[in-house]
Amino acid sequence: MPTTETDGSTDARRVEVESLSKSFGDEAVLREVDLSVAPGEICVVVGPSGCGKSTLLKAIAGLVETDDGVVRFDGADAGDLSIPERDVALVFQEFEETLFPHMTVAENVAFGLRQREGVADAEIDERVDEMLDLLAISELRDDHPDELSGGQQQRVELARQLVRGCDVLLMDDPLADLDYKLQKRLQLELRRLHAEWGATVVYVTHNQDQALTLADTLAVLNDGTIEQVGAPAEVYDDPQTAFVGRFVGDANLAEGEYVGTEGETLLVETGAGRLAATSHAPPESAGVHSYVLVRPERIAVGEDAARKENVVEATLQGRTFTGEETEFAVDVAGIDEQFQIRVPGNVSVGAIGDRVTVGWDAVDARLFHDGTLSASGEYTPAQLRELFS
Amino acid sequence: MSERTRRATDGGSQPGDVPDATVDQGGEPDATVGPDDVPDGTPALEVRNLTKIYDGEVLAVDAIDFQIADGDFCVLIGPSGCGKSTTLHSIVGNLAPTEGRIYIHGQDVTDTPTYRRNIGLVFQDFQLFPHLTVAANVRYGLDRMGVPSETAEADVADILSLMRLSDIADRLPEELSAGQQQRVALARSLVLEPKVLLLDEPLGDLDYKLQKRLERELLRIHQEFDTTFVYVTHDQTQAMRLADQIIVMNEGQIEQSGSAEAVYNRPATAFVATFVGDSNILTGTVADVVDGGESVAVETPLGRFVASAANLYSEPASVVGETLPFAVRPQFLGLDPTGPNALDCAVSDVISQPGRGTQVVLTATDEQGVATELQLHSPERLSLERDAVTVGWDPADAIMLERTSVVPGIDLERDLLGE
Repeated sequence: MPTTETDGSTDARRVEVESLSKSFGDEAVLREVDLSVAPGEICVVVGPSGCGKSTLLKAIAGLVETDDGVVRFDGADAGDLSIPERDVALVFQEFEETLFPHMTVAENVAFGLRQREGVADAEIDERVDEMLDLLAISELRDDHPDELSGGQQQRVELARQLVRGCDVLLMDDPLADLDYKLQKRLQLELRRLHAEWGATVVYVTHNQDQALTLADTLAVLNDGTIEQVGAPAEVYDDPQTAFVGRFVGDANLAEGEYVGTEGETLLVETGAGRLAATSHAPPESAGVHSYVLVRPERIAVGEDAARKENVVEATLQGRTFTGEETEFAVDVAGIDEQFQIRVPGNVSVGAIGDRVTVGWDAVDARLFHDGTLSASGEYTPAQLRELFS
Repeated sequence: MSERTRRATDGGSQPGDVPDATVDQGGEPDATVGPDDVPDGTPALEVRNLTKIYDGEVLAVDAIDFQIADGDFCVLIGPSGCGKSTTLHSIVGNLAPTEGRIYIHGQDVTDTPTYRRNIGLVFQDFQLFPHLTVAANVRYGLDRMGVPSETAEADVADILSLMRLSDIADRLPEELSAGQQQRVALARSLVLEPKVLLLDEPLGDLDYKLQKRLERELLRIHQEFDTTFVYVTHDQTQAMRLADQIIVMNEGQIEQSGSAEAVYNRPATAFVATFVGDSNILTGTVADVVDGGESVAVETPLGRFVASAANLYSEPASVVGETLPFAVRPQFLGLDPTGPNALDCAVSDVISQPGRGTQVVLTATDEQGVATELQLHSPERLSLERDAVTVGWDPADAIMLERTSVVPGIDLERDLLGE
């Protein structure tokens, strides 16, 4: 069982894939994917449906044979290793089918250990008890799976996998089928478990909240290509492509023509006037069609807006109080897409249909152009627009 | 409690079959519900004393009453097994209530077959006819009702345009994205101009980006049509974004019914405060009325705290001596307080979510060694290096509650998770 060292690193295995490619028929699902997950790290892989994230996970587990590339555990090529030899725990979304219906919870959890030679009964009992306790399902130990709720079943499945003591854990959207509240609860439990456990985790999900809550490292996959890998804050604050900016978290989109620089800032002529933005990879010449992304929480509305570098007039189209925040929807004259704005607290800025001033700073507006839409290079402006915030 | 609803999708309905409530609104149109001469102010939907007992023993819905105003977007929420789906399917008419009456626009429809209730139904899996084009799917119900061909054609064209489906009118369902399929499912129901449209977790299976987009689409469509929406979900964030009215259910009963703001800011019970958004709940004995009656002091195992009495419907003085809960939202917990409420906690976890601030999981332990978990949320990105902190909150942000739940003796934590 891996243990957490004081510096946060563990003796769990490092998981790497290098230049991994896989096609199903004519369709390339993974295109030369490189990814390195450090010992004890949670790497969350996100991307739209069909981006290849589940295939990547299966390739690491040995469930899918790849066309090209290498999977390594602690630097050793896993190509010749069978699934059991890889010794990884796997948790999928469809957990109901993996529990044995005729066995109790405790028997289900003990099953994997009993299959193994040389584990004494007393040790099995002890480890099962410990695991049931950790997942707060001790009182269910004598129940059968069909007597349990979905969340309880998923915890039993987790216990069943974790009790094996694997230092590599692969999870494919394991909470997706559960109710909202239960997802939130198990997200926290997973973090707690991982802090005690220190396994290396590769976690696939389409759920943004989960990804940004669980990840030490976020890997964004699009059309079989890695778009960006980094800490969640880095990916969110500093997207390398328009796809990443638009897919991870919410981002408003304004389009226009790049006109040049003014000091550090880049200027884009849009239907709403000239807007200031920033970029690591500005267009090489004026006249290039450009896309400016702005996060909803970086936009001010009402009095605060006037002090921002970009100030535009808009019409209030919607206001939703979501508890912790108020969300506004505004139409900005000359910008196609309705802008979304999020402000902490219960805030009012006028009635629907009223004119409001909205504003944001250049540093919060990231400029992309046709050369920086996506890493795969096959991404179209239409897809970008479709990828609604 | 397991909620054994018979969904309308059960009972041998296969793709290609006619999903009753959505399209089979045939029969004599003059016999359907919903004359336009109902008095103003008549609720679009009213449920009185609705009770459903399965197999004579499982009480799924327990004598509930509610009304939904004409044109409102109402969301029914609650944990698994709370009775929300049973309620929805009683309104649809594919479940016979054990007791109680259901009224649509003032007319008792309890014994009226589904196809004469003048309702539309949209499911999670949309149930489009795979062999029919978009236009033919939408037109199907009109033809069944015997609407003259020219009128039907015009109606279909109108609704396709409103739903932004005109460009893809000739496509088959399999050629559509999930979002387009949902719009077709909505168009197919709405073209029949139902008085009430019932939606059963229509966004349940979709990924995050699509859910957010379709939520907005639904709001737009609701605004365009003069139809009452009744929407079932377990996702309270969806409820907050969509609803004019939220009905919170728990174990077959209604915990609270009201606007999103009312339910969030003035929760009736600790269950509501915790289910709709997050809350820290502390329970203790009311010791004293303070601040000229605005607040009460509460003795809890974690210390003495002052909480606002504004949300109590009883006189504050009358609850002195009682054991009651109060709720504090995570965003109202602050570090290093100066006011009357202070609590020492261990820091269990710090989660910074880009764009959403920082969530801190805290553990407070009383003298008996009993640990309580609390949540603090800051819209800012906090870097918290300490193992222990003192948190506090403004008395006005601590909402004194009259009771934990309408269900006596529940374990709040387990109940919330539907276990």
